[in-house]
Amino acid sequence: MSDYIRRLPVYLLIDCSGSMHGEKIEAVKQGIRTLVSELKGDPQALETAYISVITFASAARQEAPLTELMLFREPELKASGATMFGRAVEVLIDCMNTEIRHSTQTQKGDWRPLVFILTDGSPSDAEDFKVNASRLKAMKAANIVACAAGADAKTEYLKMLTDNVLMMNSLTAGDFAQFFAWVSGSVRMTSKSIEAKPGELMLPPPPHGFQIVP
Amino acid sequence: MSEIAEAVLADGSKLQYVVTSNPPRGGMKYTYFAPDKSYVVQFFNDPKMGQDAKMRDRIAAIIGKYNPTVSEENGGAMGNTEQLAEYFADKYCWPTGIVVSPEFGIVSPAYPPKFFFDANSSLVSGLDLRGRDKKSNWFTSRNRKYLDPRELGNFMLMLKVCISLARSIRRMHAAGLAHSDLSNNNVLIDPKTGSCVVIDIDSLVVPELYPPEVAGTRGYIAPEVLATMEYPYGDPRRSLPCIETDLHSLAVLIYEFLLTRHPLNGPKHFPGMSAEEEDQRLMGSDAVFIEDPNDTSNRPDDLKVTIHDLGPYLEELFIRAFVDGLHSPKLRPTAMDWERGLLRTWDLLYPCDDPQCKAKMFVMYDADHPVCPFCGKKVSASEIVKFRLKKELRGKRGQWMQYGELVVYNNMPLFPWHVYSNIFADEKASREMQAYVVKQNGRWLLINQRIKGLRSASGDLIPPGKALLLRNNESFLLSDMPNGNLVETVMIP
Ligand SMILES: [Zn+2]
Repeated sequence: MSDYIRRLPVYLLIDCSGSMHGEKIEAVKQGIRTLVSELKGDPQALETAYISVITFASAARQEAPLTELMLFREPELKASGATMFGRAVEVLIDCMNTEIRHSTQTQKGDWRPLVFILTDGSPSDAEDFKVNASRLKAMKAANIVACAAGADAKTEYLKMLTDNVLMMNSLTAGDFAQFFAWVSGSVRMTSKSIEAKPGELMLPPPPHGFQIVP
Repeated sequence: MSEIAEAVLADGSKLQYVVTSNPPRGGMKYTYFAPDKSYVVQFFNDPKMGQDAKMRDRIAAIIGKYNPTVSEENGGAMGNTEQLAEYFADKYCWPTGIVVSPEFGIVSPAYPPKFFFDANSSLVSGLDLRGRDKKSNWFTSRNRKYLDPRELGNFMLMLKVCISLARSIRRMHAAGLAHSDLSNNNVLIDPKTGSCVVIDIDSLVVPELYPPEVAGTRGYIAPEVLATMEYPYGDPRRSLPCIETDLHSLAVLIYEFLLTRHPLNGPKHFPGMSAEEEDQRLMGSDAVFIEDPNDTSNRPDDLKVTIHDLGPYLEELFIRAFVDGLHSPKLRPTAMDWERGLLRTWDLLYPCDDPQCKAKMFVMYDADHPVCPFCGKKVSASEIVKFRLKKELRGKRGQWMQYGELVVYNNMPLFPWHVYSNIFADEKASREMQAYVVKQNGRWLLINQRIKGLRSASGDLIPPGKALLLRNNESFLLSDMPNGNLVETVMIP
């Protein structure tokens, strides 16, 4: 019977450049841990959500392939180097192209993926970024939310990826925790609700202290 | 990251609650708990909603004159006695107060502890369920495999959960109220004790008041609601949540509870279509029951236990709900139909011979081929005993009509609704055991506990504490008091 269950793919794109070093990357690790445990506590999320983590620093790579929650192993994240954000978007596109199931004669397709992006800077590979960002946006294959962590994060880049851009003003461990708790709430809500209008993303309001960038 | 805040209620009283940075959040509201967790305070995701006078009127009516958990004397529903209020108090999480400051919100009691998992509930390491609420799809989806078997109850207890749910919804519908978002999220169940509680009562549709805008939950929304969602709210073509849409959700939940699968989720799909669009069709305009006898396009090839195995009453109800009534809301069985059908099915329960069987009991609908459908074990007993319950026709002394059937097993209890034809096993009935049946040295005995006027086939009085020997094809009076039933014992070898 389980073959008839659709998956809800969730991609986390995490900035692991040098500026994230220290307390910030530790807070992100803790955030992912909490996110997974929160989602496991929700039966619908546990049944449908699949998680993947893609990191970017001097290189970009998929640290964890799209995995069901019970089998998900938290990747070892370290922060150092540049911000190859454009390359990360390319990795995301490749992963989605290979991992997302579409409806065929023999299987039901996945739900539209959710992509959460967290960065505290701007792309070192700005040209690549622009190309890949417009590719991603043109695919219209995912619901994307980008979060700019702190004043150094350039929201104009994030705006190229998605209309859903959040701004996190302060960067305490508590702020990161709130961000991941909000991601958890968004995944849980998406796994239950139906789309009122096709393609319309329904997410809980952003946490206190976060701004929606217009 | 938490602090105590104070809510002022509409009646001027004050309540404390703990503000947390990421409160649990549903489609409409988010929740804070009392310092001692005995109640919750909920606010709306969209604070504008609380400023809506229509919404305030609706919630005031829900808390007051439509409230089945408070007696009429204390400002609750009309005709509600103290005893009925008490019965329903733990069947719903009914709001108790309106918060006016810091903003509009609702106070509700916390659900009883049995609806939360504990440290022993999870079977696997890496899944800590402590304190999580028992949303019903923990038990009906493939998540079941992660739970300790002690959490899962058995078929009889799940039938009890269904009866409790049908009764709670019947009570709401009798008052004209529709829940509007009945789903696995809003019905918590405890199979271990066979209980359930209906939550999120504040989005009820109240007669003559403006209906709430409810998004609904995937998999439980009635097909006609899903199929007309493209029309704007207020457009007459759009189907809105109402009692009939509740009846679809109720049938889905009962089907899930008894068969641990979704009635519309089968192999049918539309290749090439996006998941969202496809789902809209498969749960909406193109929905097909996976056990539809005429249309097999959505039938999985690995169905083991089917609605036929649930006995004639439930089979008929599921056909009405998911074949006749799937796209014709008026044809759906009512909550009362479900309550009656489930209770009649309860009377057909029979213990499985296999001590390893997880279902423990099954519906004995075919005494000539008695096999547990859940584990495949054939019944080894030398005979199946049944009671045909007959009531005396009004005004026609001595003329009896069969109106019920009871499958008998060792240690089976008899309740007032078995003894008297005018008692229905609802919230008003006494649940005091009247008698029970035992098998001793190959003989079947009915042990009278407190029935007045139990008489043997030859008319002898069997007082409480004494036994009546049961014989094939003999009829005896369960009670010679008014409305006492006549019972014909049938033994099928
Ligand atoms: Zn069995």
